[in-house]
Amino acid sequence: MNHVVGSVNDTIVAADRITRVFPMPAGPVVAVRDVTLSIAPGEHIAIRGPSGCGKSTLLHMLGCVDAPSSGSLVFEGHDVAGLNDRARSLLRLRHIGFVFQRFFLLPMLTAAENVELPQAEAGVPAHARRRRSRELLEYVGLGARADHRPSQLSGGEMQRVAIARALANRPRLLLADEPTGELDQATGEHVAALLDRVNADGTALVVVTHDPVLAGRARRVLTMRDGRIEGEVRQ
Amino acid sequence: MEAHRRHGAVNRCVFAVAVLLALTAFLPSAQTPEMPTILVTRQLAALEGLAVGDEVRLAADAGGTGAQTFRIAGIYEPTPDPMRLGSVPRAVRMHLPDLLALTRDPAVPAGAEHVDSINITLVDPADAERFSREVTTRAPGVLARPTTQAAGLGTTFVVLERFHTAIAAVTIIAATVFLLALTIMLVDERRETAGVLRLIGLPARRILLQVLVEGVLVASVGALFGLALAWGAEGLINRFFQWRYDTALVFVRITPRVAATCLAIAVPLGATATVGASWALLRRGGLRLARR
Amino acid sequence: MMAPLAFAWRALVRQPARSTLAVLGVAAVGALLLDMLLLSEGLVLSMRELLDRMGFDVRVTAGDTLPGAGPEIADATAASAAIGALPGVRSVTAIRSEAADLHHRDRQADAAFIGVSGTPRVWTILRGRDPAGRGELVLNQYAAETLRLVPGAVVTVRAYCGDDDAAPPPVEFRVAGVAELPFDTPEAASAATFLGDLEEACGTPGAGRADFLAVTSTGDAAAAAAAITAARADLRAFTNDQLIGRVQQGGFTYFRQISTVLATITITFALLLITVLLTVSVNQRLGEIAALRALGFSQRRVVLDVLCEAALIVGTGGALSLPLGLVLAVWLDGILKRMPGIPTEMHFFVLEPQAFVVHGLLLAATALVAAAYPMRIVARLPIAATLRNEVIS
Repeated sequence: MNHVVGSVNDTIVAADRITRVFPMPAGPVVAVRDVTLSIAPGEHIAIRGPSGCGKSTLLHMLGCVDAPSSGSLVFEGHDVAGLNDRARSLLRLRHIGFVFQRFFLLPMLTAAENVELPQAEAGVPAHARRRRSRELLEYVGLGARADHRPSQLSGGEMQRVAIARALANRPRLLLADEPTGELDQATGEHVAALLDRVNADGTALVVVTHDPVLAGRARRVLTMRDGRIEGEVRQ
Repeated sequence: MEAHRRHGAVNRCVFAVAVLLALTAFLPSAQTPEMPTILVTRQLAALEGLAVGDEVRLAADAGGTGAQTFRIAGIYEPTPDPMRLGSVPRAVRMHLPDLLALTRDPAVPAGAEHVDSINITLVDPADAERFSREVTTRAPGVLARPTTQAAGLGTTFVVLERFHTAIAAVTIIAATVFLLALTIMLVDERRETAGVLRLIGLPARRILLQVLVEGVLVASVGALFGLALAWGAEGLINRFFQWRYDTALVFVRITPRVAATCLAIAVPLGATATVGASWALLRRGGLRLARR
Repeated sequence: MMAPLAFAWRALVRQPARSTLAVLGVAAVGALLLDMLLLSEGLVLSMRELLDRMGFDVRVTAGDTLPGAGPEIADATAASAAIGALPGVRSVTAIRSEAADLHHRDRQADAAFIGVSGTPRVWTILRGRDPAGRGELVLNQYAAETLRLVPGAVVTVRAYCGDDDAAPPPVEFRVAGVAELPFDTPEAASAATFLGDLEEACGTPGAGRADFLAVTSTGDAAAAAAAITAARADLRAFTNDQLIGRVQQGGFTYFRQISTVLATITITFALLLITVLLTVSVNQRLGEIAALRALGFSQRRVVLDVLCEAALIVGTGGALSLPLGLVLAVWLDGILKRMPGIPTEMHFFVLEPQAFVVHGLLLAATALVAAAYPMRIVARLPIAATLRNEVIS
């Protein structure tokens, strides 16, 4: 299933010496320090590192959820620093998918309705969103659970619904923050395999993880420490 | 003691004197020692520009028939009358013989006038009921009753008290409903904690006891805070209405009984709401509570 | 399906217990608010309706007091003739009221005895007919029941009209009918007849005195009142509006003031509670909201969701508050009408369209203001920090 819209030759994200500083009462904390990184279409990148090294902060900046304190961040040719909140929201809605460690499915909606949510926000007509939702749920192996609420799903199933939701508007880039963090190993394997499939179908994938097995599935593995990218391995 | 009033003439006359005040305040060249004196209300003095020492002429009718001169001996603050709220007390006080002389029908001989009521102060106020019964029995056509049973006035305030109680009841119901909604939300926030405690092995009763203690504490503090707020509001409301109606009447008073009633309602209500919401939650299994 | 209002509905339905309680709380508070709005003008509207029903639009008294509360008009007959001759006046009715004892067989009742001149009647016949000639009167329902009298029966009247204690002569009247007098109070007897008959019963035939004159203008009550004052400077003329204005400054004002105070307290109470409910609800869902923002929901959209939640709670509760408020109004009206001296036909709570409009506007404003703080929380939510905190917690 092709989820991607756009040219395969352009860079999706280009980060140039981005830094993120958090002002704290005890003094400023530099979470990300001078990171330069670019993500091409279809790439599969894993970001590893100890807790507090700035992995999630970097992910949030790449996903335009957070803005760098300095440096330049360009997303599909748009300088993110020059965009207002509404423009950044639209960017995330149409071009970026997020998968969270804690799933964050809306409990009062069914699986299908959760997947429809970003599409409705993007103005997709009802019949088109319903069709797309069913397709995505089939894609993640939950076609029969479309009308179930999150409370009726297991952890792995919820994460798969979350992946389907992230793919709803055909994003060029999928960002996953510890997607298997709350899952057991076997379930995590299934989710990891699904993410591989998403990437194979054309969506660029950046995964932040502690899990060496999950990281090992990526073609580029970035290691972070103290806010910097310490090393990069291509495999 | 109140004499049974068949006619309202004398009472009307008192106010007719006040309303039909034929003011010819003139400066006396010399004060006549025998000139009768009167007191006027503060409000009347302000409205008519009267001062102590002024001489005024009072008559019982608008035509000024039989007007007599009086000297203002003083200005007084009228006793606030809740039944006359909103009306400006244009009144004078005078000696009864002066009033009777002023308002007597020429055909009625002096001493044969009648009055509306006679107020009596007893040596022993607790004897009022017995005294009233005895007077009523011994004086046909006369009705005597203790002032605590004043007809009309008492009924009015009984009705107002019921009205305010009804309003308070509705407010308490609304507050209880909101309180329940809030406690359900707040108890739900601690669902996982409760679930873990259950999984550890604490019985539901033990957790409920903890919740009860917390509920009583929070409800007590909240009720005391509410009382403090009410005391503050009491001052504001009284000042506002006293200004608005130019009266010394007290409209709101937080008595110890009122405060105790509020506490007696609020604290158990708050504690019960907390325990009730927690009990509903704890009916579920520990695993279900602890699960995200 | 995912319009903000539908989304808000789903969010509320997700927690049925707290949502139901919130709506019921708003309904109770809204009912109280509605009643306070009805009370603020109720007495005035009721009195206006009573006065209008009587058919007179100007009342003339001897003093600067309300009709029946001040001195009598000593030359009522002459005054009626003079006023009746004025171009803006259609009719003049002299009205006088005295205390009386009514006797029938072994039954007795204290009553208000009303004498009315001319042909316009101030009462509504329930049974029987109007007095047609001398020696006839009408009784109110309470008097008829107490004395067990029916139209055609004879009742003895002792009227106390003078300033002395002389025993009044008993006078027999025939009951022409049972009527409803506009200012009748509960459990109080009253009887009404021609003014001449009342004077006879008082032992002062042809006295020509009246408590006040009730005047019907030809259309312009204010002009008629001015003309009366010009013609008779010793008398005071009040239009119905002026009369109500005078009464408003007196006892009625208490209820207006208390309704304002209670309405203010009610609104403040509702505002605080709804704000707390919404804020707690939002704080419990910060992770979800941050996730939605990360997915691309705009700031405007998430803020609108909170506003719609407030609108749904207050809107549903407000709709429920209408029937609740009406039931409560009937109950409270019943309590207040037990005050002595309140006419049976007078009400403290009167339905009026403006009150409902104000009620709706106030609730809408409450929803808006109550949602302001939680909307602010949601609008300023730091997405990344919230997501991080959710993981840590």
